[in-house]
Amino acid sequence: MDITNFLIMKQELLLTLITLFILVSEIFVSDKRRIIPIAIVLFGIHTLFGFLYNSYGSIFGGMYQNSELVNLMKNILNLGVFIVLLQSSTWLLKEENENKISEFFILTFSTLIGMNFMISSGDFLMFYLGLELATIPMAALVAYNTYDKKSSESGLKLIMSAAFSSAVMLFGISLIYGQFGTLYFSELLSADMTSPLLILAFLMFISGLSFKISLVPFHFWTADVYEGAPTNVTSYLSVISKGAAVFIFNILLFTVFRNIVDVWSDVLYVLAILTMTIGNLFAIRQTNIKRFLAFSSVAQAGFILLGLLGTNELGMATVIYFILIYIFSNLAAFGVVSSIENNSGKLNIEDYNGLYHTNPNMSLLMMLSLFSLAGIPPLAGFFGKFFLFTAAAQNGYYWLIFIAVINATISLYYYLIVVKAMFINKNDSPIEKISNNWYMKTSYIICLIGLIVIGFYSDIFEYINQISIGI
Amino acid sequence: MKFDIYDFSVLTASIHQLLGEMMGETAVMITEMVIVGIVFLTLFAILGLALVYAERKVCAFFQQRLGPMRVGFWGTAQTVADAIKLLLKEPLMTKSADKFLFNLAPFIIIVASFMAIAAVPFALGLQAIDLDIGVFYVTAVSSIGVAGILIAGWASNNKYSLIGAMRSGAQIVSYELSVGLSLLTIVVLTGSLQFSEIIESQREGWWIFRGHIPAFIAFVIYLIAGTAETNRGPFDLAEAESELTAGFHTEYSGMKFAFFFLAEFVNMFIIAAIGATMFLGGWMPLHFGGFTAFNEVMDFIPPIFWFLGKTAFLIFMMMWFKWTFPRLRIDQLLTLEWKYLLPINLINILIMAFIVLMGWYF
Amino acid sequence: METTIFYIISAIILVFSVLTVTTTKILRAAVYLLFTLVATAAFYFMMEYNFLAAVQLTVYAGGIVVLIIFSILLTHQINLDLKKINSIKKITSGLVSLFGFILIGNIIYTHTFKATSSVIADTSVNEIGRTLLNYGDGGYILPFEVISVLLLAAMIGAIIIAKKK
Repeated sequence: MDITNFLIMKQELLLTLITLFILVSEIFVSDKRRIIPIAIVLFGIHTLFGFLYNSYGSIFGGMYQNSELVNLMKNILNLGVFIVLLQSSTWLLKEENENKISEFFILTFSTLIGMNFMISSGDFLMFYLGLELATIPMAALVAYNTYDKKSSESGLKLIMSAAFSSAVMLFGISLIYGQFGTLYFSELLSADMTSPLLILAFLMFISGLSFKISLVPFHFWTADVYEGAPTNVTSYLSVISKGAAVFIFNILLFTVFRNIVDVWSDVLYVLAILTMTIGNLFAIRQTNIKRFLAFSSVAQAGFILLGLLGTNELGMATVIYFILIYIFSNLAAFGVVSSIENNSGKLNIEDYNGLYHTNPNMSLLMMLSLFSLAGIPPLAGFFGKFFLFTAAAQNGYYWLIFIAVINATISLYYYLIVVKAMFINKNDSPIEKISNNWYMKTSYIICLIGLIVIGFYSDIFEYINQISIGI
Repeated sequence: MKFDIYDFSVLTASIHQLLGEMMGETAVMITEMVIVGIVFLTLFAILGLALVYAERKVCAFFQQRLGPMRVGFWGTAQTVADAIKLLLKEPLMTKSADKFLFNLAPFIIIVASFMAIAAVPFALGLQAIDLDIGVFYVTAVSSIGVAGILIAGWASNNKYSLIGAMRSGAQIVSYELSVGLSLLTIVVLTGSLQFSEIIESQREGWWIFRGHIPAFIAFVIYLIAGTAETNRGPFDLAEAESELTAGFHTEYSGMKFAFFFLAEFVNMFIIAAIGATMFLGGWMPLHFGGFTAFNEVMDFIPPIFWFLGKTAFLIFMMMWFKWTFPRLRIDQLLTLEWKYLLPINLINILIMAFIVLMGWYF
Repeated sequence: METTIFYIISAIILVFSVLTVTTTKILRAAVYLLFTLVATAAFYFMMEYNFLAAVQLTVYAGGIVVLIIFSILLTHQINLDLKKINSIKKITSGLVSLFGFILIGNIIYTHTFKATSSVIADTSVNEIGRTLLNYGDGGYILPFEVISVLLLAAMIGAIIIAKKK
């Protein structure tokens, strides 16, 4: 093995170095608040490096593989994490969090390392390890507000449901191993998976992963955990964590499980309908903005499955493209929510009444992001959804698309409730004018650019489509 | 080698052959298991009696007393009398204790030490089971014993017991690391975890002499951590009489108390035996390169005496500690382990690995 | 002889597993779990996977169960019993597990596993060590290193949760 081979896994190595650097720097930095700019700048450099000096290949006997596609996925996640870090500054600077600022970055970066390893895994062992590395520190992040009972409760909920789903998934993997005696994806490519045992194994595997993506009927933890977690962690959980899980789901379905495409398309068909519909119906009833966004993100996951049903290069490309857009839209919405929560402590949709009169800029950004989530034409979200529908249509899932369109309409209704609250409803004591710090403003600008530009700049989709793989 | 005349495998092989002529294969296996079990039970009893006597005498001499003198010659039958007393005592039980766990706890501790002693090599060919992972096996098995202490403390439903159990749990879990790592330092030298091979590798000299300073540091750390792991003074916080009456076994009486007592002494024996095997060559006689005549004389002393002598020396050291040093506080105890012993140990292993890599040991 | 021992160990594992989940005293559950895990180690010893057995003993019996018991000692009083589960829940969960058992059991029994042609793996400690630190084909250095990151992160996470203000 050559030393230059390490360049293949530079994303993980660099991130580990940054993590250790922050861990050690805490000893020398007297004021913990100074760690925020250090961490953000370091991570910004890391994000930039993700686009430069790339080399691809597989090392460690095929346990780790990197390709242009995988690298792109990592870059997308990096971008999202960068925005999350910018947005979390207000929350971290609060008095009660002052003595644990650096730990937030360490834990966040560890989970990101886990996600990166998960996406580039070349066998089930590394995949599972990456998944655990992405989950266990996450529970600590969710329980970060130790003064808040809800936060601890949701941390426990997350770790319990994660442990349970991992157990189910491991059982599935063990059955696959028992049959073929190998865990390497490359050796499983040509494996015959049609026997009942292996289909059972696949179903167990898919249920385990569905917990992470919170597909219905595996979504029960989502709303509670999203509500209890600190808002910035919620945004991380709902965007980055989910995105990473979707990416590896995508890769696995199109490589290891490609021989049983008939089986998994049926499964996904049912899951997609359930997820979209139930996610939407529950979202309508919510009065808490975080629970509302939680169910909206469940519903969005249902749409993502449509792209997976496309089963060709276009299908995969649409999913990645959608995640990219989803990151900007959802993070913009969560950014506004977290800013309002940290400044006024208000979380109900009713509290947003009359927000436009006091905070016009934030209201506009929130509106744009919600419109993008709903899929209203000039914004990026529209193109994302449109491409997903196209991918599903290629395989002739017209009924499914019909249901999806109905669901998109329902979702428009509840997104508009929030918009109406902000712009039309009157409120005697609206939320006061909030002055955001520079970090927050930067994140808003990045999100805004993303929301508008990605839809129109067609080269991005062309590029993704060109490097995607299909069955 | 001259000491081959004391090879016990000749004896065990002949017993095996004799049994084989009398019965079938399965029956031989079961009979042999029973024999080994009985032998070890007897050994436990003898060890208990001998070590308690030794402890009392050593203690007495350190305090310029005579110790037990009345029962038997120089009080040699004193512990036998004590054992009979314990057997006859009424087993008491607190009213709201968890009966099942209360009764179970002493057995967990005894079973753990029983499993550990199975791997101890007493002499050439005298070892119940010679696993290829011997050292690792002993550390693994002895780590179960702490569960018994914790359960005993909780099930007694007594504040002193609970505090004692917590202390002892924290202590054993921490010091296990140092015991394991200091043994690992020697494993780096031997390249094997099997006890028979470790002893064989010390034919030319014991590791404590041949392994330079790192081996000696490891030996000292092993003695400290081993003493702590057996909950003996100066690390006897778990039962600190002056603070916690008797710690985790406050509520126990009669035979159940005797089990805890016995387990403590057997564990001390095991720690000393493993230490003797790893650092002082086990049953291997003392050899100096070049002194042929001296080496031959040494070979005529049977291996079993070498082993028992070395073990007795280490046990004496541990008793010496107990009656010399004052007891530590719990925070001092944990500081000693996590801030001093563990880092020293880790660096020590690195140095040892470097020495082995360069071939600088004798 | 070996078959008999196998069945005895299996019986121990089964009985104590059931007891672990049905008992109402939490420390007893932990102790039954200890027995289950030690019995699993006995399986490994029987198959002469000595290293794996010792790992099972140190990590699970000596590590995890002791930690569990420790946390019970810190939080739980002896007089507290767990809530009794009502019978409807018992019956439904029993039925669900029975269904799952029949389904999975049936599938596994009707499935014909193909015998592996590869040689039995060498389980000596030297070989395990070499494989664990090998970066070529079939080596496990990468998972080994990633686990260390995982443990570090988990430790920091635990500190965060336990940290006082």
